[in-house]
Amino acid sequence: MKYGDDVSPPELADALDQARRGDRDAFRVLVERHATAVFRLAYRMTGNETDAEDMVQETFLRAWREIRRFDGRASFGTWLHRICANRTVDFLRARNRWQPTISTGPDQEHDPFRNMPSELPSPERSARSAQATALLEPALAALSEIERTAFVLRHYEGLPIDEVAGALGVQPGAARHSIFRAVRKLRRALEPIGSTIL
Amino acid sequence: MKLQHLSEEDLILLYYAEPGAPGDAKAHLAECAECRAAAASLAKSLTLCNELAVPERSTEFGRDTWMRLVPALALEPEPKRTWRVPVWLTATALAILLAAVFLAGRFSRRMATPVMAGLSDRARERILAIAVADHLDRVQNLLTEIADDQGADAQGFADNRARAEDLVEEERLMRQSLVARGDTRTTNFLDEVETVLTEASHTPDSASTDQVRDLRDRIEAGSLQFKVRVVESNLRNKEQKL
Repeated sequence: MKYGDDVSPPELADALDQARRGDRDAFRVLVERHATAVFRLAYRMTGNETDAEDMVQETFLRAWREIRRFDGRASFGTWLHRICANRTVDFLRARNRWQPTISTGPDQEHDPFRNMPSELPSPERSARSAQATALLEPALAALSEIERTAFVLRHYEGLPIDEVAGALGVQPGAARHSIFRAVRKLRRALEPIGSTIL
Repeated sequence: MKLQHLSEEDLILLYYAEPGAPGDAKAHLAECAECRAAAASLAKSLTLCNELAVPERSTEFGRDTWMRLVPALALEPEPKRTWRVPVWLTATALAILLAAVFLAGRFSRRMATPVMAGLSDRARERILAIAVADHLDRVQNLLTEIADDQGADAQGFADNRARAEDLVEEERLMRQSLVARGDTRTTNFLDEVETVLTEASHTPDSASTDQVRDLRDRIEAGSLQFKVRVVESNLRNKEQKL
């Protein structure tokens, strides 16, 4: 059985079908294919690598328990993202705070190559990203759980507002207004660099 | 003709190509320099949001995730078909379990029978936490289906109504056990949940789409799904600590 990014869409569909019948090897194909995307969502919601990795584990464990309920109305990736968003909201609510990691480079990790980007950015790009990240992390932290999750799902994950609402278990109007509030607050936070950086 | 300027909300909807902006918004944007400037400013800010750094994962991350998951999966049974298990069956099993557990607790204080010897107070508390958390999981599934099913009328609501009735029964059994243990916070929360479940279970065949929508709005207004998730999550944490 093939794993990772080499798996073709028909093979993925086949893996999903087999996983729904309880085949753990088939489920592994799905885990390896979607883990990084789920991590990105969890990281944007938690602001912390360790927590995000824990949420990835929780998401796939939950997905395994519930996989027979997956009805194919949304894509499997969207379904996973819903699970991840819900579990992460629960986690954040229980912890009641958002903890951004202070990023000081890959030296912090046990494996020095673990977090190496595949392509080195230009110095200008790095500086811009660092400036924006420095403003965005506390601004995201200050959003309510629903505002942050709605914004992350709409902006970074590209989910339509109706699907964002489904993931959050709220009406589309509530999701829409959460996104409006989040954008307003983030724009305010970015004002110091908004006029100079682009 | 001078049109009203577009609001920030309109511009956000246009940026994300979402429905809901005024029908003539694009035409207005083409004519109005002020709104074009506002749209450009919004686009700048949202583009800047893309700069938020996310730590890269190595190409092995998928495999590493799987390797970490394997021990947990080994403890899991095959994926369950929860949506096909009749709720009445769950309720019956739960009733038997709770009755056994709490009768055992009562007799253990009086008679110290062998069956009680292996069942500590802590174990009974853990079983109750699991049972209530599982119950809330089923409640959450029902609430999500009610909230998601935007087009449902009362006829389409029939299955949800039957499930709500079963969950109300299940909840009453839970409450007895929780009261016996003096857990007033969870009991009060189950009261709040029961109010909505009872309302769902009493939705008549003649109910209008508006009435069904009202129920959904009340679920949302009370943030009930969110509360259910939080309480369930707290119970799972408690269960793991016990």
